Amino acid sequence: MSHMNTKTWCAVSRFFSVVAVALLLVASAHAAAPGITGTSFSLNAGTGYSSQPDGMLIYSWGYGCATGFTPTYAPAQFASLGFCPTMQLPGPTLIVTEGIPFTVTLTNSLPAPAGNTSILFPGATVTFSGGVQGLLTQEAMQTTPVTYTVTYAAPGTHEYYSGTQPDLQIEMGLFGAVVVRPAHPVGTSASAPNCTTTEPGREDFRLASSAYDHSLTCYDREYLFQWSEIDPKIHKQAEDQIKLIQSCPANTALQFSCPTTLNVVTEPYHPNYFLINGRSMPDNMDADYAPNYPNQPYNANPHMHPGELVLVRYMGQGHWQHPFHEHGNHVRILGRDGNLLLSQTGTDPRLLAGRMEFNTDVTPGQADEGIFYWSGKGLGWDIFGHTSTNVGNLPCNPDVNGFHTNQRRHDPNLLWRAFCQRFSELLRMVRRP
Amino acid sequence: MRKPYQICLPILLVCLIPAVTSAQAPGSQGGGSFRVQCPTATLLHPGGTGTGNSTPASAEAAYSGPITRTAATDPSGHYTYNPPLTFTDNGGAIKCQQVSGGDGMMTEADGNQTYMFSFGPLSGLQAIQNGQAGTQLPAVFNKSYCDPANANYLSGQPNPYSPCDPSTTDPNGAVGYVTPTATNPSPGADAAAIMNTGVLNGNIPAPLMAFDEDDEFFLTLTNVGMIMRPDLFEQHTVHFHGYPNASSFYDGVPDASLAINIGGSFTYYYLAPDAGTYFWHCHITPPEHLQMGMVGQLYVRPRQNRTPAGTDVYQTSLLQQNDLRTACHPGLPAAGQPGPDILCSAPLPAVHPGFPNATGYKYVYNDGDGSTRYDVDVPIQIHGFDPNFHFVGMTFNPEGFADMKDKYFLLNGRSYPDTVGVAGGPADVLGQLATATNPDPATHAISTADTDTLSRPSQPLPTLITLSASGGPAGTCGTATTCGQRAALRIADLDVQEYQTLSSVGIPMLLVGFNAKILRDEAGNNLYIKTNSITLGGGESLDVILDSTGVAPGTYFLYTPQLDHLSNDAENFGGLMTEVVVTP
Repeated sequence: MSHMNTKTWCAVSRFFSVVAVALLLVASAHAAAPGITGTSFSLNAGTGYSSQPDGMLIYSWGYGCATGFTPTYAPAQFASLGFCPTMQLPGPTLIVTEGIPFTVTLTNSLPAPAGNTSILFPGATVTFSGGVQGLLTQEAMQTTPVTYTVTYAAPGTHEYYSGTQPDLQIEMGLFGAVVVRPAHPVGTSASAPNCTTTEPGREDFRLASSAYDHSLTCYDREYLFQWSEIDPKIHKQAEDQIKLIQSCPANTALQFSCPTTLNVVTEPYHPNYFLINGRSMPDNMDADYAPNYPNQPYNANPHMHPGELVLVRYMGQGHWQHPFHEHGNHVRILGRDGNLLLSQTGTDPRLLAGRMEFNTDVTPGQADEGIFYWSGKGLGWDIFGHTSTNVGNLPCNPDVNGFHTNQRRHDPNLLWRAFCQRFSELLRMVRRP
Repeated sequence: MRKPYQICLPILLVCLIPAVTSAQAPGSQGGGSFRVQCPTATLLHPGGTGTGNSTPASAEAAYSGPITRTAATDPSGHYTYNPPLTFTDNGGAIKCQQVSGGDGMMTEADGNQTYMFSFGPLSGLQAIQNGQAGTQLPAVFNKSYCDPANANYLSGQPNPYSPCDPSTTDPNGAVGYVTPTATNPSPGADAAAIMNTGVLNGNIPAPLMAFDEDDEFFLTLTNVGMIMRPDLFEQHTVHFHGYPNASSFYDGVPDASLAINIGGSFTYYYLAPDAGTYFWHCHITPPEHLQMGMVGQLYVRPRQNRTPAGTDVYQTSLLQQNDLRTACHPGLPAAGQPGPDILCSAPLPAVHPGFPNATGYKYVYNDGDGSTRYDVDVPIQIHGFDPNFHFVGMTFNPEGFADMKDKYFLLNGRSYPDTVGVAGGPADVLGQLATATNPDPATHAISTADTDTLSRPSQPLPTLITLSASGGPAGTCGTATTCGQRAALRIADLDVQEYQTLSSVGIPMLLVGFNAKILRDEAGNNLYIKTNSITLGGGESLDVILDSTGVAPGTYFLYTPQLDHLSNDAENFGGLMTEVVVTP
């Protein structure tokens, strides 16, 4: 490759450097797991269209904010940026707190042929008022809203979705996520055991300082990934039948009677759109609340600095199980469906027992959390060129694990959580003798 | 933002990769953009006394814990470091391998010839054909390929190195390697040798790679083009799936890094940080290139294998705590301190009654308690082929990705009964395979006739597992008096389409590793699972130990209980199944 001059190589390498360091412009990227927070939510089940990268607009049903309801957006940086339409895919992420009851009032604005709808909150204690009794839960009719009072006894990540004709309604888009913050997040002061603060000087998008009430669940950033699929034939059937029903002449002289309810065939299931947070690649790399997706506000494009602990919340919202590959490093699974996985015996029963995985099975109806980081540790070369001869670098002060976390101040050279041993590792490749 | 000079330094470092390895006198090279690269000395593995391994180009050395070293120059003396570099040396060696990216044909168990986009071996050819890893030490790699059993290249063209001179050639040497001379110290590569070997040389699985923790692995990908699809200008890459702390540069994702053009070579660099079962594949349009066959196996052997004989393997785990890269500080954090590294590499066992290592003992992980010791390596790749997709891919038609439907279910590129199709094996009831030429009676490799009428080895790896119920080392099986052999099934699923289950009838499975990590919690408790079935999605790997201790001699089966996967396209027989033969 001696024919490749340095300029060519630098062009390649500069691109690579940009990718590896990810975006330094965190503030403008608003990297987070956004949602709405509070103890009282007024949601709507309505119709709309999702936009797909190939240009398709797909008729869908979704939860959104009821007309007149003004939600509080979290994290706080989204206060002026966020929006909550009357229907979105997935539904608004509800950010609540362990042990504190909250209410969700659901209004049914679906077309009459779609019938009733509802919300299930698996993993929570639920009471309800209003609505009518359904098979799995209390349902909202077109004219009668239902109010659920929901309490999660433990922190974690959960799904919510329709409990009414779920094979059709969930496929049409009636699902969303609940993030339950710990009631006693681990402290962030330097003396407390022990969540080191995210580096001062960086904007903090976390919903809490720890995922659970446990000092080994601290993190610096967090993301939520809801996996689903779309079989557009199902959506087309629903749309066509609703149009037919609504336009069917009420002429008693006709030899047939107008249908009044949907009869959508949902099997065999053959999806050909695959979504994370309601968007397909590359749309899911656009910003959260990008205006070109009026019904798909959430992206799926994590940003992190090397070494930062990134809390990842996964959930399967579709029909299929998907193996989700984390490129670059393993993830430590923390818990499943709001249950922190801890050692049962041994030197310290309070240590983590979740697996380390480079591939996480995202299973319909199941939610997992994990913590991921990437540090370049063990590469054998310093991808950033922080060498002892690189004048201008701050000294790297390793903690017990070898990471630079002792010096808590804003570091323009991005050393926070750097793996110090790396600093004397040049690529050890040499001329062939 | 960082200042320009701060950006440029890493760029300069990366620029050193090609510049340093291929620096040469102008006009003396051959081979165009092809390169065969394997250093004999590096900063980490310079050889000589005072290092973790004095002969890294030709051998591994016993693991004796990390030592801190400094270097003021690189081994060639070309570069000086001021101040000197200080770094940690854990031994290990230099390992090299070369693969082709191109196409080829394979044979399904129903006889159907299937076209593949594929990788093939361009080094370690003899080892690959024998079902072994093609990874070599520099002393072997840096010799021109010449096989005494075959005077010709796979294309039928004569190998000019034949008859083979063992001092300068090797049947496991690198294809295209040209020995430097005093007058031509940088001769480049022999492009004719590469094309005569690499074209249509696709294997399924792609060449097996295996090396040891602390090795530096130099993997050269040479893109020989796809001769059956001259309309395509496909690039290829290598992605080490699951590799910890992978660099985006060598991760093979074309969106984030570079890809290799037809007619070019690129050498990937990996330090082997953590033992485990990984796998590798091309990352260009993954659904297409994976379905078409560009999937290979890869595993890293643990430091514990290098424990001196007679020493408790726990000592190796303890020594690893002296290196911050592998240390796992147990316990909850003290005030103001961070908790243990949440992804640390070498957790100590909670219980360690003592397990002295012996020469030849092999372990799946650095367990510290000997619980993952085994006798027989069995890499198993689960994959599936959709014959329609492959036909469409061969015949210049647009492929339907969402309509992909596998009809062949493969263990190491073979469906039953080809999985056990070896001479003298259980499927050879009539003894015909001993006189047959395909599969090869000596190597057991299946060959496939390509469109140039020449036959090339395409599927080198049967999955017939043979264990002796009395052949294990004494004292390694608890209270039993006679120890059977243990097989380590390193299972990776690269199926593009479906989840796959493998069941074991008669011999229990012990699941000891998942996704290249020992199943152990932060408190050191082994979370192994005794089971009779395992399930994997595409992109997952796990490690299962089959222990023949106390098992009655006979034939046992590994098969999928997903019964529609026990078929070979139209044949209602075959599929994802193989046999375990337990001998007395």
